[in-house]
Amino acid sequence: MTELARRLEALLFLSPEPLPLVALCELAEEPPGPVQRGLAELAERHGPEGGLEVAEVAGGYALRTRADLAEVCDRLRERPPEDRITPAGLETLAVVAYLEPVSRPEISRLRGVAADSTVVSLVERGLLEEAGRPAEGGAMRYRTTRLFQERFNLRGPGDLPPLERFELSGPEAQRVRTRLVEAGHLGDGAGGDGG
Amino acid sequence: MAAPDALQQPMELDLFEGPFDLLLTLVLRDEVDLLELPLLEVVTAALGERARERWDTETAGELIVLLAAMAELKARLMLGEPIDEEPDPDTLEARERLAARLIAYAPFPRAGAWLAERARASAGPRYRRVPLAGAAPPPTPRESPAPLRDAMRALLAAPPAPSLSHLTNRRVSVPEAVARLQGALARARSVSFDALTAGADRLEEAVTLMATLELARRGDVTLSQAEPFGDIAIVGRRR
Repeated sequence: MTELARRLEALLFLSPEPLPLVALCELAEEPPGPVQRGLAELAERHGPEGGLEVAEVAGGYALRTRADLAEVCDRLRERPPEDRITPAGLETLAVVAYLEPVSRPEISRLRGVAADSTVVSLVERGLLEEAGRPAEGGAMRYRTTRLFQERFNLRGPGDLPPLERFELSGPEAQRVRTRLVEAGHLGDGAGGDGG
Repeated sequence: MAAPDALQQPMELDLFEGPFDLLLTLVLRDEVDLLELPLLEVVTAALGERARERWDTETAGELIVLLAAMAELKARLMLGEPIDEEPDPDTLEARERLAARLIAYAPFPRAGAWLAERARASAGPRYRRVPLAGAAPPPTPRESPAPLRDAMRALLAAPPAPSLSHLTNRRVSVPEAVARLQGALARARSVSFDALTAGADRLEEAVTLMATLELARRGDVTLSQAEPFGDIAIVGRRR
């Protein structure tokens, strides 16, 4: 194991949050190339047979426990660390993650239901944070946090599949229209009929 | 048709909770039975208690048209009348707008589902959360502390004592007024109240009246007043 890898291991072990490559370079006083090689060496050292792994997550590198050890790790804690997120919470997170920074009224408009309490609870849980108000004034905007990236194992803020991947295909969109038309018994009344 | 905002407002009914347009969709799709939907609740929820503040006249009018249509439809359903199959252009437009909204929003629930799957797949690893002892040093001040000190000094200076010159501390005592009245009665058998209080202010006048009444209560004087608000003659009783 190289001297650099030893230093990187020590840094990752101590750091309470993922360390970006830039920070590692500064702390280890080495250029990015050797640091990345050192990280690769470290990752190799912490192979599947060990209890730890080197992960690239939330904009940096972290030394974390391996997934299969979750149960034993959680015995160390007073309560399970990962509480469930409601479907409304997940939808709201998705809206913010793709459109950030975005305000509560904008989220509510898009979702068609008030998102205020959902946003508040996501902020309380550290998954969303305030991102300031627009220069021209207006409602507070929100963005996702590093904890969000860790929770969903994302490498950084933009590490999401393109939104287009989730769009309805032509036939699916057509099906939505057809359903509306098929169900459209209100036809006579909705526009105020003449008789 | 109603403006998008009005259509998207959340509704909270016993039977249904969600945006208004979704309720309309469900009614259209017969997934919510119109016969079981309390229309009064829908109207109250749609227009709201503060309808005048929430909607402009046009939007409110459109909401009312929409609600009236629902009421008519429900009435026909209850009467068992056949429903006209020919949709009018407004309905088609509304339907298309609704479809566009549903289609535009569809990616986000799917992205939410992707996130959920992602969270499930990566629920295992645990991170070390121990904060490092010794907090980072406070940021070096970029500005001179002098303006801050000056600002604080202004706040710390004691404010000038408020002037009390407009307040008076005059005391007029009833016993003194009684003594004065008794003095006057010692000199003359009958005293005019008006003469007694000539030049006195309202407070003195009031206290003199109380003294007069006090002497009358004791039986030392008799009072007579020819007419309301007229002068009072105070006559001392000879012992």
